[in-house]
Amino acid sequence: MKYIFLFLGLFLAGCSSKESTEKPKIAVVISTLNNPWFVVLGESAVQQAEKLGYEAKLFDSQNNPAVESDHFENLISSGFDAILFNPTDADGSIANILKAKEAGIPVFCMDREVNSNDAATSQILSDNYTGCVAIGVEFVKQLHGKGNYVEILGLAGDNNTYARSNGFHTVVDKFKGLKLLGQQNGDFDRNKAMEVMESMMQANPSIQGVFCGNDAMALGAFQAIQSAGKSEQIKVFGFDGADEVVQKIKEGKIVATGMQYPKVMAKTAATFAVEFFKGRKSFPQHIPVGVNLVNAKTAKHF
Amino acid sequence: MISNSLLKKSQSLIALFLLMVVLSVVSDKFLTTGNLWNVLRQISVNLCLSIGMTLVILTAGIDLSVGAILGLSGAICAGLLKFGLAFPALDLWVGFTVLGATLAAILVGTSLGFFNGWVITRFSVPPFVATLSMLTIARGLSFLYTQGQPISDLGTDFEQIGAAWLLGVPVPVWISACLILVFVVITNRTSLGRFIYAIGGNEKAALVSGIPIKQVKWLVYALSGAMAAIGGVLVTSRLNSAQPNAGMNYELDSIAAIVIGGTSLSGGQGSIKGTIIGAILIGVLNNGLVLLNVSPFWQQVVKGLVILLAVIVDKMNQKSN
Repeated sequence: MKYIFLFLGLFLAGCSSKESTEKPKIAVVISTLNNPWFVVLGESAVQQAEKLGYEAKLFDSQNNPAVESDHFENLISSGFDAILFNPTDADGSIANILKAKEAGIPVFCMDREVNSNDAATSQILSDNYTGCVAIGVEFVKQLHGKGNYVEILGLAGDNNTYARSNGFHTVVDKFKGLKLLGQQNGDFDRNKAMEVMESMMQANPSIQGVFCGNDAMALGAFQAIQSAGKSEQIKVFGFDGADEVVQKIKEGKIVATGMQYPKVMAKTAATFAVEFFKGRKSFPQHIPVGVNLVNAKTAKHF
Repeated sequence: MISNSLLKKSQSLIALFLLMVVLSVVSDKFLTTGNLWNVLRQISVNLCLSIGMTLVILTAGIDLSVGAILGLSGAICAGLLKFGLAFPALDLWVGFTVLGATLAAILVGTSLGFFNGWVITRFSVPPFVATLSMLTIARGLSFLYTQGQPISDLGTDFEQIGAAWLLGVPVPVWISACLILVFVVITNRTSLGRFIYAIGGNEKAALVSGIPIKQVKWLVYALSGAMAAIGGVLVTSRLNSAQPNAGMNYELDSIAAIVIGGTSLSGGQGSIKGTIIGAILIGVLNNGLVLLNVSPFWQQVVKGLVILLAVIVDKMNQKSN
């Protein structure tokens, strides 16, 4: 009896997958679902695709181009018709996109860029670099161009980590009065950033500012600063635009962050995919989605 | 000969002492009371995981699920505090106090740990595989429960567990100190302790001499889960926020502390005291490398080398014995 059911199950599964090929299916492949920000990006992409009337499925590449490659192979063979894609690596992900392109499946990159202009159908990107240039300007303004500061970077080997840090430093490094006393990794993780901040405050009692590569780390650093009773002395800067941080900016606890728009990126990518199904062939290669500075003055708009 | 064996017994203590001397020479910030409390507060979580897992490793087992159980129990603790528990079918909503949520989290950790022990004894699954499966299950459950988003702002009462001071000592340090005491008593003074060493030393002999192997294993894995949950409550309280990916890779730091402390991965040999020194050594190393602003890439290399060195010295000593 068991075997009969098993065969029946296979048969049914075979049937249902055939039926659904009539309507295009959309895959959403996200670099990692370990980070709340990317969960929002991935889930909004799925929701947008469903809102437009298409079946959508979410895949987690676990920050690993090899896992991503497996996903792409499975997607191509199981008959998905478009991929909304958040790549794990600017170079490593190109080969995966090309595989899909060969199979005639359009790929729309979201948030993170790949270093190729003819692989993806279109790339809808958050401008991390320019966003952090703006943070750098705000940082200089708030510290009046002089003082000691530390930086908490994201993850070693991650593009956005360096895009953000470079954007910030193009401005801040021009001011000789601003001294970088420590630069450590916080792995985009709240707890790690808190512990690193605790130790950096011990090493440098005189710091006046900290720039964190994302908002989770800004919240961890703030927690450490608050416990040490230094919230008056040290100004915290983040990046992402997390709700908790916007709230803390309104309360005057964190100075500034860069607001990114994952939902806008997800919506644009889903809309493009649907337009592709309806026959549109040409898309702009790069669609920059701006990053807005959130500080005490502008926080009420977010 | 006596002094020689004493030297061998306390080699990790000597290593820790040397490390602290070096750090206090190269950084004038290391040996300040503020920084030392910092280090102790930071290691309190790893201590919880490590002393729990020491019992498991003494029985020649391993528990890879402690980091994931930490994440899940922390999330559940935060979720219960913030949202309570709703039963829509009964039109019932249960709110949780700080104590209630903490106990519920510990109950979850204990149950998952017990499940580990049960799977291992009932189906003879190797502990490595059973707890590896639990690692992914618990991590997945924590993402499901939190929907991948942090649960934050848990109230000042709850925040006090991680932030408050009692008689001049941070509360997390008190908590880990009390737990250490309990575990030292278990290993040194109780028949459970003797059973654990006996099972790790020679399981067949232990079976023949009538030691209730199954029950002892259930208990050590359940205790390891409970300690992971306590660690989860501590992390969550320190951040005033539960992160769905909290505790990622913590099992590795914990195993490192145990190994540095001289506990043998093949069971039967080692002590809670050794693990404490191992955990402090890793904490001091992490802290010192940041104080000196060493590049994060080098930090990983240095940590790996220290662990390797500790194990090599241990092995050489065993051979010379």
